[in-house]
Amino acid sequence: MPVMMEKEKELSQQESLQLIATMIAKAKDDYQDTGVSALFWGVIITFCSVVTFFNYYWGWRGLDYIWFLCIIAVIPQILISRRERKNKKYRGYHDDMVGGVWISYAIAVFMLSYITNVYRIEQANSLYLVLYGIPTFATGYGKRYPPMIIGAIACWVFAILSLYTPYPYFILYNGAGAVLAWFIPGLLLRNSYLKAKKQYV
Amino acid sequence: MFKDLNPILHSQLRLAVVSILISVREAEFTYLREKTNATAGNLSVQINKLKEAGYIDVAKQFKDNYPQTICKITPLGIEAFEEYVKDLQSYLDIKK
Repeated sequence: MPVMMEKEKELSQQESLQLIATMIAKAKDDYQDTGVSALFWGVIITFCSVVTFFNYYWGWRGLDYIWFLCIIAVIPQILISRRERKNKKYRGYHDDMVGGVWISYAIAVFMLSYITNVYRIEQANSLYLVLYGIPTFATGYGKRYPPMIIGAIACWVFAILSLYTPYPYFILYNGAGAVLAWFIPGLLLRNSYLKAKKQYV
Repeated sequence: MFKDLNPILHSQLRLAVVSILISVREAEFTYLREKTNATAGNLSVQINKLKEAGYIDVAKQFKDNYPQTICKITPLGIEAFEEYVKDLQSYLDIKK
């Protein structure tokens, strides 16, 4: 059914059903995540993991602090979220819930890094991977988005493998987890978001 | 025998608006206009009709110093929409 609609016309039952389906599909396509945040964190965490791994061989002291990049990255993340919220002309049913899950995850990650530093826990990698999986699984499950569910499960598998892998190799599980849980789903989300946007412009 | 279709919903623009609002928690007036390609005047009239029927809530507020109209479907609107779809389905089943 062509879009729309200045003169009211008599709708047949078939046309009514078709109109309902079209409008719901339009809203559903809009409801897609832009994928920017997932891509952003996928890149940041992978970058930090790879740098940490190579720094085992390079031994540059400055790079020991590479994970502070995650704290700095919170600023652009806030800006991204604010801009997305501002441009969004609707609110979905799960927006607040998903937002809450990721905010609580961010708080938990910073608390975990504080605790592991205070208690000098050397092998905290598995704990981070367990944590990565939680909001990713919740989002994927809630939005019925298999790439995120697969990514979350991969994080949990890596968390176990990490326990039996020597340093510095277990750091790479961190990067692999970020690629599977965020970077790839983010890329897929971005593609379908841009495709849907193009379709209805 | 099938029931008469709800005349409030059995209108192209009103049905389009309700179909969008059933899919989201709330939507701005500009979003509805964008999705339906209706003029602001016509959309405004139809939204008022839906509001008078109690099918949607309309809230006016300011966002970044600009007026903003937010529409949200009510429980009565959801019920009416479900009933409307059921009536459509039963009509189409009989016709088959």
